[in-house]
Order: sequence, then C-alpha cells, then structure tokens
Amino acid sequence: MASDTLNEPTNLKVRELLKEVQLDYSPPFTKLVDDTVSAIKDAIDKIPEDLQVTADVAPGFIRDIGADKVEFTFKKPESVEIGGSYSMRCVAKPDVNVDVFVRMPKEIFHEKDYLNYRYHAKRFLYLCIIKRYLKLSSVAQKVEWSTFHNESRKPILVVHPAMKIAEAPVVLVRIIPTATSAFNVAKLNMKRNNIRSLNQGDVLQPTPKYNSSILEDLFLEDNAEFVRRTFLGWKELGEALILLKVWARQRSSIYNHDCLSGFLISVIMAYLATKSGGNRVNKSMNTMQIFRVTMDFIATSKSWATGLFFHPQGEWSTSKAERRASLESFPAIICDQFSGFNFTFRMTKGGFLELQDEAALTLSGIDKCTDGGFDEVFMTKVDFPAKYDYCIRLNLKGCMEVSALGFCLDDECWRLYEQKVLSLMHQGLNDRAKVIRVIWRNTPSGCNLEDGLSVLDREPLLIGISVDTLDKALRVVDIGPNAENKDEALKFRKFWGDKSELRRFKDGTIAESTVWECKQWERHLIIKRISEHVLMRHLSLSQECITTVVDQLDFSLLCGNEDPISFSTSLLEAFEVLSKHLRLLDDIPLRISSVQPLDPAFRFTSVFPPKPHPLALSKGVKPRFQKLTSSCIQSLDVMIQLEGSGNWPMGDVAIEKTKSAFLLKIGQSLQSNWGMTCNATEDNVVVFTSGYAFRLKILHERGLTIGSNQVKRVPSTDKILNMCNMHSSMINGLQGRYPVYGPVVRLAKRWVAAHLLSTSLGEEAIELLVAYLFMKPLPFHVPSSRITGFLRFLRLLSDYDWAFSPLIVDINGDLTPKDEKEVNVNFMSSRKAYEENMQNPSPAMFLATAYDKLSEAWTRSSPTSSELRRLAAYAKSSANLLAKLILQDELDSYRWECLFRTPLNNYNAIVLLHRDRLPYPQHLLFPSELNQGMHVVRGKSSKKFHPLLLPGDMKGSLEDLKQKLMVNFDPLRCFVYDMEAKFPNKFKVWYDSLGGDAIGLTWERSGSKKRGREEMGEEEDLVNVLKSVGEVGKGFVRSIYLPKAK
Amino acid sequence: MVTRGDGLPKPSGLKKIKKKDKLAEIVPETYKNEVKEENKKNKSLGRKRGVREMRSRSKATVVDQHDIEVPETYMNEVKEEKKKNKSLGQKRGVREMGSRSKATVVVQHDIEDAADSKNNERKLLRKKKRKRDRMNTSEIGKVDEQHDYAEDASDKQNDEHTQGKKKDGKLRKRGRSTEKKKKSGIDQGNVLHDKVEDDSKEENGKSRKARSGKKGHLSSKKKEKLLEKREPAQNEIHEISSGDEDSSKGMKKWITEYHQNRPGLEILQQRIDDFMTAYGEQQEQARKEQEALAAEGGWTVVVHHKGRKKTTDAESGIAVGSVAQAAVLEKEAKKKSKTKDIGVDFYRFQKREAQRNEIMALQSKFEQDKKRIQQLRAARRFRPF
Repeated sequence: MASDTLNEPTNLKVRELLKEVQLDYSPPFTKLVDDTVSAIKDAIDKIPEDLQVTADVAPGFIRDIGADKVEFTFKKPESVEIGGSYSMRCVAKPDVNVDVFVRMPKEIFHEKDYLNYRYHAKRFLYLCIIKRYLKLSSVAQKVEWSTFHNESRKPILVVHPAMKIAEAPVVLVRIIPTATSAFNVAKLNMKRNNIRSLNQGDVLQPTPKYNSSILEDLFLEDNAEFVRRTFLGWKELGEALILLKVWARQRSSIYNHDCLSGFLISVIMAYLATKSGGNRVNKSMNTMQIFRVTMDFIATSKSWATGLFFHPQGEWSTSKAERRASLESFPAIICDQFSGFNFTFRMTKGGFLELQDEAALTLSGIDKCTDGGFDEVFMTKVDFPAKYDYCIRLNLKGCMEVSALGFCLDDECWRLYEQKVLSLMHQGLNDRAKVIRVIWRNTPSGCNLEDGLSVLDREPLLIGISVDTLDKALRVVDIGPNAENKDEALKFRKFWGDKSELRRFKDGTIAESTVWECKQWERHLIIKRISEHVLMRHLSLSQECITTVVDQLDFSLLCGNEDPISFSTSLLEAFEVLSKHLRLLDDIPLRISSVQPLDPAFRFTSVFPPKPHPLALSKGVKPRFQKLTSSCIQSLDVMIQLEGSGNWPMGDVAIEKTKSAFLLKIGQSLQSNWGMTCNATEDNVVVFTSGYAFRLKILHERGLTIGSNQVKRVPSTDKILNMCNMHSSMINGLQGRYPVYGPVVRLAKRWVAAHLLSTSLGEEAIELLVAYLFMKPLPFHVPSSRITGFLRFLRLLSDYDWAFSPLIVDINGDLTPKDEKEVNVNFMSSRKAYEENMQNPSPAMFLATAYDKLSEAWTRSSPTSSELRRLAAYAKSSANLLAKLILQDELDSYRWECLFRTPLNNYNAIVLLHRDRLPYPQHLLFPSELNQGMHVVRGKSSKKFHPLLLPGDMKGSLEDLKQKLMVNFDPLRCFVYDMEAKFPNKFKVWYDSLGGDAIGLTWERSGSKKRGREEMGEEEDLVNVLKSVGEVGKGFVRSIYLPKAK
Repeated sequence: MVTRGDGLPKPSGLKKIKKKDKLAEIVPETYKNEVKEENKKNKSLGRKRGVREMRSRSKATVVDQHDIEVPETYMNEVKEEKKKNKSLGQKRGVREMGSRSKATVVVQHDIEDAADSKNNERKLLRKKKRKRDRMNTSEIGKVDEQHDYAEDASDKQNDEHTQGKKKDGKLRKRGRSTEKKKKSGIDQGNVLHDKVEDDSKEENGKSRKARSGKKGHLSSKKKEKLLEKREPAQNEIHEISSGDEDSSKGMKKWITEYHQNRPGLEILQQRIDDFMTAYGEQQEQARKEQEALAAEGGWTVVVHHKGRKKTTDAESGIAVGSVAQAAVLEKEAKKKSKTKDIGVDFYRFQKREAQRNEIMALQSKFEQDKKRIQQLRAARRFRPF
C-alpha cells in the first residue's frame, strides 16, 4: 500500500506515456494495414515465374560485394507474412513500421550458395525484382532501399503505402526477405570460412560475422515467432517492451547498429520471461517492475560474461560448452534455440559497455530522482551532443582508404573502419578518455544501392568521447616507454611521429614522451590536438575532414585574442594582498575580522574578469601603459566583517551611514598606510590595488535580524549581502570540485546576456542552474566540457517543468529530506497563492538552496512568467541549433555565431547605442544593425565620454590620471534607469548588461485597455515616447527603430 | 456670430470666409505652393494618392467659392475619413493630404474668429482634452514654438489670442479621433483647427529648418511625425544632438552625476558626520521628550513586563537586544527538545488527529498529483519525441 501511493505519480505518468506512444489498433487502421499488405502480396504474385535473373539487374552491387555465380530463375515467395513488432502489438510511435517477411523459395538457391556472398547477391536481386513490380503497382507511393540494422549487404525494401487514413500515423511497410532452411546449418558454423578470397595461403580464416549474417535470415521467422508467442497475451510484458523502446530511442548512443535494436530488446525480455532465463520476469509483475527487472538484468547480471543461451529446441542439440566455444569471438552472446546463432553478433564491446552503463545510470535515476525518475528515464534526450564531452566528426566522403580492401570482407569495411578509428583513439587518448564511441550510420534510406556501395560514405562518422577526471584528460605531458626499452620506444615513436620526444624527467628516468604545451586557458584544446594529430597521421585525413567540437563557442568569451580568465590568478593574488592589509589595519575603531570575496570573478564564473588596469595601482608602482588604456574599470565586491560592538545604532539608515563612515575610514587608512587610492561615493567605497578596483562592503550581523522591511518583503542590505556571501562560498567550493563549471557558467551568462535577457535571469541564478547540472547530472554523467555543459543548460532551461516543480540546488549535500519537504511546502504555498489571486506565479522560477529555501534571493521578482517563457523559447531553439551543429557537417563559423545573435524583430522598438560610447567596446559580441522597420530617431554621439584614455588625457600627474579613471561607470545602466524613471510601466526594457549595443523595448499592455482602440493615436503616442527616450539617452543613443512598422 | 436655430451650428471659421475677402485671396497662392510640394511627394507614393488629392483639391475649391456648401462636403469628408481610418497605411496618408489642402483654404480665417468665440461647450471639451493630454505637457511647449513659426509665415496677423487658440487646436488634434465620432459642428471646427496646424507647418517647413540651428532639436514636429509614417525617408528621422551642452539629460548628465557623487573623502566624511550628529540629536531629543513627559507629572504609565527582560520582538518574533545568536539558538533548541519529550501523541485525541491529518495530507497530495498530470497532459509533456 505504502509503496503504491509513493509510486502513484510515476504510474500515472507511465500510463500517460503509454497512451502517447502505443499504437491504436482500431478496426479501420488494422484494415488499412491488412489491405496494404495483401496488395503487396498481390503485386508480388503478379511477378511472372521463370523470370531469368542475372547480375545485370544490379551490376554495381554484385561487383561491390564480390559475388560470383548469381543467376537464378525467379520463383514466387513461399510466404508473405506480417511479423515483427506490429504483429506483437508492441509498436512504439512515432516510428510505425510493419515488417513483412517474404520467404524466398529454396529453389532459387544452390546448395553451396552460402559461399562467397552468393546468398547476399541473390537476396538482393530477388528484392530488386520485387521492387520493380511494386513500383508498377498502385499500392506503393514510393519504394525505397534501406538496410537491415545498417548492414548494407542486407538491404530491405521500405514501402510508403499509397493508402492512408487521416487520423492514423504514417505507416511504413518494410519488406524483409528470409531464407528459412535454405542451407545446411552446420556449414555456417562460426569457425568455418565461407569467403574463399579471404584465405591467406592454406590458413582458413573463420568468417563468423558473414556466417551469422546468413544464419540470421535462416531463422529470422522462427525466432520472431518464438518472441511473438512469448509476448502473446501478456499485456504487461508488451507494455514494458514499449517502455524499453522509448528508453532506448532517447539514447542514440545505444539504439544503434552496434548495440541495441527493438528486436534485440524483445529477445532479451523473452529470455527473461522464459525458462531459459530462469523466469526472472513473471506474470505477477506490473509494467514498471518488468521494466526495472530488465534494466537491472542488463546492467548487473553476471550471465553476460558467460552468455545467454536459450534452451535448445528439437533435434538440434549441442552442449552449452560447445556452443559457447563457437561464439567466443563475440563480445556479447545471446544464443538462439535453433542453431547456435548469436542475436548480438553485431554488438561491439564498446556498444555493450555503453549499454550496461546506460542501464546502470537509469537504475540510479529511478531510485534517486523524483517521481521514479520518469523525466530522466523516458523524457530526456540522451543524444550524442549532450552525452559526450567531446564530439569529433569525420567527413569521409570519397575517402578511398575506407574500402581499400573491398567493401565486404567478413565484416563490412565501414564497420572495420569504425574499429580502426576506435583503436587509434584509444591509443592516442589513453586514460584521458573514459569512454570512446565511434558510430558511422552510413546507410541513409533512399540511396540507390543497385549502383554499388561506394555511395555509402556520405554521412559523417561520429566519435564521442567521455573524459575521465579533467586533471587526467587535460594533462600536458604523456610519458611513454623508457628509452632503454627499444621495442616499445620504437612503437611509441612510430605511433606519435614527430610529436614524440625523448625527455628526462624529474625522477631521473629518460623516456619517450609527448608534450602538448599550451596556455592555461587553452588546456581544453589538448584532446582536440591529440585526436587530430593521431587521425591525420594514421588515416591520412586532411584537417578539413576532422571537426572537433570543443572551441567553437570560445569566441564569445575571448577579449581580443585571449581569454580574460587568465587574469584570475593575478586577481586572486591581489585579493590576498588586500585582505592581509585590511586585517592589519589598526587605526580604525573596530578591527576587521574577516574578508570575503563576493564577485563572480573570484570564483571564475565572470564572463569578463577584469584585466589589471595600469592606473589602478598602489602608489609608488609605475604604470606601464599599453596602447589602448580603458578609461573605465569594473570594481569587484569584497565583503568585510568587523569585530562585534554594542555601539551600533538601531535604525536602518543610521546603520548604513555608520557603515559608510567605517568604509571611508578604512579607505583613508588604506590610502595613507599602503598607498592604495580610494575612490568613494556615499554608498560605494572602492580602493585600487595591483591593477584592480575592489569595492568594500560591510556585513553587520545584527542587521540580519533587525530592520528588515517585513511588510514589503524587501530583504535588507545585510540580508542580501549575507546571501551573496553564502552563495559565493558555495559556488567557490563547487568550482573547485568541477573545473569545467566556470566555463559553462560563463557561456551560459554570455548567452543570456546576448539575447538581451540580462534583467530576466541574474548571474547568481544562472550559476545555480548550472550548478544543478553538476549536482544532479542524471541521466548523464557530470559534464566535462563546456559545450556539453552549455547544451545541457539550455535544455534544462527549456525543458524543466518550472510551473509545477521547484528546482532544488543542493551543492554541499546540506539538505535533509525534511528540508526538501519544507522547500516543497514553500513552493506549493507560493503556487497556491498564485492560483487564488489568478496573478502570474511568483517566483516563476523557484530556485531553492540550502541558504534560501523560499527562493527569495535571486528569482523573487524576475524572471516573470512571461520572461521565463521567452527564456525557454530561446533556449529551446538554441539547444536544437547547437545539437544540429555538433552532429551535422556545418563548417562555417557563422552558424555557431547564430547561437549568440539575437533576433531584433521580437521587440516593439529597438534602441541602438553608439558602440564607441560603450564603456567596454571590446565586450561587444556583434555590432547590431537593423535594416527593416521604421527609423524613428537618430542621435549624435557625445564627446564627453570616451571608453579609452585619449592621448590628450594622459597629461598631468599620476594622481590626476587616477581621478580620470571612471569606476563602474555604466551609461547603459544609467540610461535604462532614467528611461524607467521617466516612463514607469510603459514598456519593458531588454538589454545586454555585458556590453551589447542594442536595447529592446516591449510595450506593457495592461489587460483592461481596449484592444485596437484608436490604433493610430496610440502609434503616434509611441513615436513621441520613443523620441523622448532618445532624448533621455542623448549622446548615447545612435538610433531607434520600430522593427515591425513598415 | 450667427447660429442656426436647429441642426448643427455652422463652423464659425467657414462663415468668416465671406467676411474676410483679403484672406480668401491670399489662400489660393499658398495653396498652389502646397500642391506643388505635395505633387513632388506623390511621385514616390504612387498614383492612388495623387487621385485622392485631386479630389480633395476640387473640394477645396468648392469651399473657396461657395461657402454655404461647405458643411455638407465637409460632412462627407468626415465620413470618408472614418472609413479610411479603418485601414491604416497609405490610405491614411492620403487623407491627411486631402484634408490638409482643404484646411489651407478655410482655416486662416478661423484664427481671426477665435478670439470672440465664447462657446462654453467647446471650452468644456478643451478641458477634458487637457486632462487627457496632461502627460504630454512637454509637447505643448514645443507646439508653442511651432506656432511662433506659423505666425511669422502667415502674414504676421496673429496675436496672442491666436496663439492660445492654436494651442488648443493642437490638443484637439490629439483627441481628434474620438471627436470625429460626434458629428457636431464644434467638432468640425476642431478638426479644422487641426488643419491650421498642418498647414502652417507645411508652409514653414523650410524656414523652420533654417532656424533649427537656433531653436535646436527640441521642437518635435507633429507633421514630420505624420510624414514619417508615410515615408521613413532619411531626412524625416528625428535628430537628437549629442547633448554635450545640456546636462539635464543623457551622457553629459550621467558624467556630471558621476563626478558629483565623488566630492572627495573628506567631504563625504563630513556629510556622514553631519548626518550622524543630526541623528544623535534627534535621538537625544526623543529621549529628552520622553524624560520630560515623565518628569512633568512626576509619574509615567508603567507597562507590566512579565518575567525577565524582553529579548524577542513581540510582533515579528525575532530576537532583539544584545543576545548572542548562539545563545538564542541553544535556547530554542532546548525549548524544542522539551516539547518533544512530552510528545505530540500524549493524548488519544492528538493521535487521532495526527492520523486524520496524515490521511488528509495523502489525499490532498493525490489530488494534486492528478491535477498536475492533467496539466502536464495538456502541455503535451508526455510525448517523448
């Protein structure tokens, strides 16, 4: 009972999911399918008997697979039957395939046709004839070639039926030829050689893959029938199969030719449900239990090591040991009950490990995630780009080397090439990589197989790499074998070529090694460099053919030609110095007890950590001016705490004033003691040291408990400071654990800002969202590259169920189940309040942390639900584009830039600013221009401000120069502030706080206003408003457009 | 001032045409200029407008010659305008042109008339409009400037009165659209006023440009705005100066503010000291007052404090005074543990209540989940691909 109620939401959800994906076997639909199939049957029956078939029907194909003696006389198929998932009622939408088994008559084969690809050739020719006649009939709208599990020597026909009914999904009929009992099974034993051309001298090379390929067709119908009978009338088993198919389909790395297929899943389940598998699945289980048992079996069962064997049927019975011995060469074994055929003969070692890993991850998802991990298991797409940290794409079009030895050996050349690339990558990356997957889906449907197999290299080959710990993965030096070990050393040198060098190491050893020297901020490129070197060296590929997805988005973080993150070390040093000086101050009334960094730059999550400024130095240090010296400087917040005292005043204002007084005192003291220039306003005290500007803030502990404005629920300054402090230290810890966290946050922040959403999603909120990806990575592993992390961030933003669930970010594992319950209660009450008032839910994005269980800190007022919708919509399209860019051949960098180019026509008005009046013009990502719409205002730029110190400014003493340095001067913020003050609630302002030159305005329409009321008057009014907006930003506004007006 | 006994009062301006022959003579000239200018623009706008314009011109001529017919034609005009209002865009532009040309004919006489029109109703209307347009008061100032130009150009006949009048005209124009719905003579008059505006602006286009150097960018020009809507050509975009000479807005203001906020450490310190002294005095004052109150009658009301010194604020329940945080926490923890010792299920009714609550909670959770699933289904959250 208890567990039932606990799992209730999961079961409800699973029911709903099944409703979505199950096929409705309504009478009109089944009739449609039956009619189509019988029409196909009729069309095949019309093929004249005794038709002589020769290689001329498809000379290219016959040539490429290398078959001899292929002539035969056409005979009608022995049977045409519906089989596969449709007959089992286990089709998972949206792919509705009806498999039709066409049993080729024994008469067309000779006894020895299992040799030398004769069977494959005849099989293909047989299909060619069927195709020809299907095309003539009216049943098919289109007949296309496809391949059986990506095995191009075994093509199948896909018929797009002409008959359709409106409400039913699109059905494809796959015509799959079978050859039941055409050959003697013993001749196809795994140890035998059946391709004579492969023989080297007298040694007979066994051809297990080739043999399996034929065996598969011999027993396809029998096995399918066996599986069908197992599933027949067992509703839960069928439903679990559909769930497993959905699960697998979401995981493109395992639902693949070298790993899993729908049929294979059903075979595994049939094994578990019969005596052969010890009846692990029985009739008393419900759907989810069967799902779980199957998953558990895949992930953990020891049987995989020995192989799964169905109990043999009928006369064919050899001992288990014998069968096992014959199947040794395969990494995974599921042996059928008839012939010793291995269902998993296509499965590779890597594919199998991947499958086990995915299943294990899924199990932990079911246990750990809310609602039984429903979203993680079934709804989240685990595709190549999001799963692997590095993706490499090889464009092998026209690469002769792939098929140098012929297209079809024991295995096909493409599969062999996959293996070759895989082993090269393994050797090159060594222990840097945890998992490497190489997949080449090289048979797109619709290609013309009659003309041969050379066209099958159009699609790119994909390499996915998951790295081990980043320390290992981004290691600069690889130490090879000792120089004395001549053989090994030679091998090493042969593998690495000119990259290998003899080095003497600290411990005295002299060894071959490879060194991948680079700047600290370019470390993430090491894997790219290694793999490109290896692939180019050993596969004779040109650099253009290799696309490594790793640095394509770095352009958005660079300043000039380097990543400003490299200044972080000097920043931290400067902070240490400041902190020490502060603590040593003794001429202030209260001593400083602690100094805490608050700014994101201190925790490596600032998009643009400041560069040391030549004017922000302490006294006595001579500045070295670069060519271009900025006239502005960003300050970095530092929080200090004073020792306790009972003399603080009680009022809010008085406390703040006292703090200011303290800070001024501290500033003066620093100035006189250490020569740090102090730049102060009434609210901000900034000191310059080591090239940085630090803004000091005092946390008054007692301020946390008194004086907060309870009525308006506005947190007091001290409360905010305190939350900043806790957030900062928490993120700092996380950043230390995951070095990739910083870059991902920076990309995410840049993306949010680039789409003018700076006001909607604060920096801290972004940091928490990204932190969530690292704390709760399921169904993935923790991301280890910036692009993967960024993609997952975009998907989180767009897919998370913000309306109905709080996002709990538990960085240090501080939250007990009770705390989580409390958060949920808080969330519920906030949503309830919304339902009662019928207002927009607030906060729309509920972000709870250990220090903030009410989500008051960062998302209290923004994003609003409409802003969140915009965010999610942008994230969705960006995520789709990014995934596409990773998977598909898209060589120009422009498309990558599109991720950060925001469409300007989604606003009612666009204000463009003078680029040369932005305080940090180098932070501008793309200059915005607008060619459409109506140009309303044009403004001249002010001469009062220039972002760079002009030569004229450089006169005067150093102290004068320091006075000219503008701290935190941000005309954009001033402009937005003035604009909102002048037109409160008139429009919403969207801008890029990182230094964009465009501002978007959308009109705030109050609901009561009558729509369409005097459009003209309104429009006129708007133009007037825009003119005053232009006036408000005089000297800064370049132009204002109405993008939608014609 | 003659008014008819029934029906609509005739627009006063129109009547004046008869009286003031001089002006009527002037009109055709200005009108010709107008037509020329418009023709130029029409080339870019296509044939349709040209046709419309011809029609309106002919109407204008009618007005010129037989003033009695005017109201009717005008009524037609109003109707037509309404129709056209529905479809924005080019057509609207056309209408503007047409009415403007007509206005040339009529309006200048109206200016004369304005002084002696004492129609209460109209005043009322104006008041309303003022209210509506209060937000745009700044605009009115600009309009004034324009009127200056208008005066210059229209034979320097206008006096203070007309200026005020025109101001009203401007306001009326803003509310024109609502007024158009009423077919009263007053309204017609109002609309005509608008046309004064348009016309005078048109006439002064050139001189204004010449002067814009002096008068600056401040004058926002209504007519330009209208033209923009029709043809966003380069020369009609509102220009804003760099503002380097004006520190009330824009970049200059921000820079000035930036520097004003940094007067130097001493001055800042001084300010804070001043504040703190004032604050201290204020506190002192308050204390003294209280003391004085106490001293006055020699007695004061004593509030009974139960137990020890108060350490928590009664309203918010938070700790006040100099109590160490840790001590408070400890005390709270103690309190909690004490209550726990007794246990919440000491009495049978408590047990029963707890059970009932649990079931209620489970029920409500179930309901919530169901509701959520429904909402999720509506959002198609169950379609995996």
